[in-house]
Amino acid sequence: MKQRARWSAVLIVGLALAGCGSASDSGDKPSGGATGKLVVWDWKSGDATAKSYIEKAKADFAKKHSGVTVEFVAQPFEQYYTLLGAAIQAGKGPDVMLFNGGGQIRDRVDALLPLDQYVGEDKQRLAGWDAFTKDSKIYAAPVTLQGHPIYYNRSLYRKAGLDPEQPATTWDTFVADCQAITKATKAKCFAQGNKEGIGIQFFLSGLGSGILTTQEYDDWIAGKRNWNSPNVKRVFSLWKEVNDKGLNSDGANSTAMFNDAFAVFQSSKASHVIGLMSDIGHWKDFAEFLEADNVGVMKAPVVTPGTTPSLPYDGGIGYAVAKWTKDPTVAADLVRSLTSTDALKAFYADAGAIASDTTIDVSSAGPAVAAIVSDLKEGKPALHVALSSKTIELMGRLSQQLLSGSITVDKAVEQLAKSDQAG
Amino acid sequence: MAPAVLIIVVLRLWPLLLGVNFSFTGDGERNGAMVGLDNYRDLLDDPLFRTALRNVGLLVLLLPIAVAIPGLLATFIYLRVPGHRLFRSVYFFPAVLSPVIVGAIFNLLLAFDGPLNELLGGVGIGPVDWLGDPKVAIFAVVGVQIWATFGMALVVFLAGFATLDPALLDASRVDGASLAQTIWHVIIPGLNRTIQFVFVTTMIGMLTSMFGLLYIMTGGGPEGSTYLPEFYIWVQQGQMNRPALASAASTALFLIMLIVGLLQIGLLRRAGRED
Repeated sequence: MKQRARWSAVLIVGLALAGCGSASDSGDKPSGGATGKLVVWDWKSGDATAKSYIEKAKADFAKKHSGVTVEFVAQPFEQYYTLLGAAIQAGKGPDVMLFNGGGQIRDRVDALLPLDQYVGEDKQRLAGWDAFTKDSKIYAAPVTLQGHPIYYNRSLYRKAGLDPEQPATTWDTFVADCQAITKATKAKCFAQGNKEGIGIQFFLSGLGSGILTTQEYDDWIAGKRNWNSPNVKRVFSLWKEVNDKGLNSDGANSTAMFNDAFAVFQSSKASHVIGLMSDIGHWKDFAEFLEADNVGVMKAPVVTPGTTPSLPYDGGIGYAVAKWTKDPTVAADLVRSLTSTDALKAFYADAGAIASDTTIDVSSAGPAVAAIVSDLKEGKPALHVALSSKTIELMGRLSQQLLSGSITVDKAVEQLAKSDQAG
Repeated sequence: MAPAVLIIVVLRLWPLLLGVNFSFTGDGERNGAMVGLDNYRDLLDDPLFRTALRNVGLLVLLLPIAVAIPGLLATFIYLRVPGHRLFRSVYFFPAVLSPVIVGAIFNLLLAFDGPLNELLGGVGIGPVDWLGDPKVAIFAVVGVQIWATFGMALVVFLAGFATLDPALLDASRVDGASLAQTIWHVIIPGLNRTIQFVFVTTMIGMLTSMFGLLYIMTGGGPEGSTYLPEFYIWVQQGQMNRPALASAASTALFLIMLIVGLLQIGLLRRAGRED
């Protein structure tokens, strides 16, 4: 009887304790980066094309800290933020971790160490810092630049009797060119994939600089977004109009951007695609199928007269340091090695990434890369990167509703404004 | 007894309670602070979660179809239709495939420019956007789930048939009963317990193991029309960085499963009494 009472007491105390306080551990606990070892999480180090990049970065780091072992743990990208979220919640994540620029890192800065005091020397050499900055503090060093050039198939232009050196600069002539290409080759105007709601992000950023005035564009990036502006609404009405006019490849809402929509472009079934500068769906991928000389890059056509189209780009991916790492200086040194010129040169050469290091020579990579790199100087941050993850997710769903006709542009913009203002 | 209780408490009840407790804390700036029922209010305000719950209701409505298909096919196999041995293995085969493979196969088949639409085009029916039309997509995914999993229910039914008294079937044959009469008056009453079991396990399977298919086939879309609670939890935890809200949704899913479980116990008890 006594024993039963004791066990009952243990049970009751245990259950009562479970109900007290928070299950969330917001404290700073030390972790894997104990003596002599740094753990890095990313989704790149497992790729064959990143092998020499990682090797060069490791070698550079070994020169500074020969006694410290570095362990790269490559996670599957689709699970990455889920795993990282759990690790952050437990306060026991890796020392150094890879992030996409924009919402993904800004949502998690509470778990990260500001790197300003460590990366001062790299600030001029590397571009794309803004995507990893929040409240004027830098939380990661950019490895690649990520943006949304409009790629076009020069061979289809030629087949339709158009000059591939002179792509359209206004929306009306662009649509006319597309119609000519469709007539001659049956290829649609845009390869569109919006199954995951990503198509609208590419569309907003790819074409936005030809729709929003310079002032509106800069205000948008600065967080002063006027969702009632006719030009902002025009982005979404154009999105719908493009689909309604049959300019998109068929079944946009059931076509994945990665990699089905890009496959449509690569197989010459569409003449244009708003792609990426680095990672997947970029110049090097397309060049393998269409040949480098057939891959063109154009700026957004002018939709709103008086606008100045520019290349939308930000920092693509970058390495950050967890605030629980034991020796922040050593971890920051590893980040600096991961963004050293030699390492990034290897990443550009093998993976086709447009590296954040603007001193790398890309002159031998074909006309598409030349066009992208020459536009970097005048380029501006991509519009969708400035939005929170929550608003981006909502925009994806609303964009699908716009395509299927189950919501009006006004209602969609109203919901986006509400979400954006809620933060 | 005591160590067993301890194991249950530490490894089962304790984590469960931590999860429930976590659902009363905040996300983001309010991380760790107790927020009462705020997360549950957010859930009810979220159209995506409401869609997920509506889809649970839809699954309940579609459940009889998911049970009837393996039941009927098992009946045909039991009544020894020609080629019944081959059918048994063919029907079971998808049960050994991973949902990822099944999803990938049907993504190809159901693509807008895929073979099914080509076939439909051949007979003059316009293409259907199987995975891109919000009114159709959930039925496409549930259809694939039924296709992929009915093999297991079929095996349970065949096991149930093994307990059926063959004399009853012989008697019905002698009395000149049609196939429909035999199924209605002999097989269904005889397999009462098996049918109840398959009903409950199929429901649990649909609620807790459709994640892989959803992830591969629709990613919750289009327009969030194919969300189920499990998928919602994953998105909130991993993509939206809102683990406390995800915990609240998990607790809600747990309650739904609890109700299904209690229903199961009730059904089995009642069946036991009939015996």
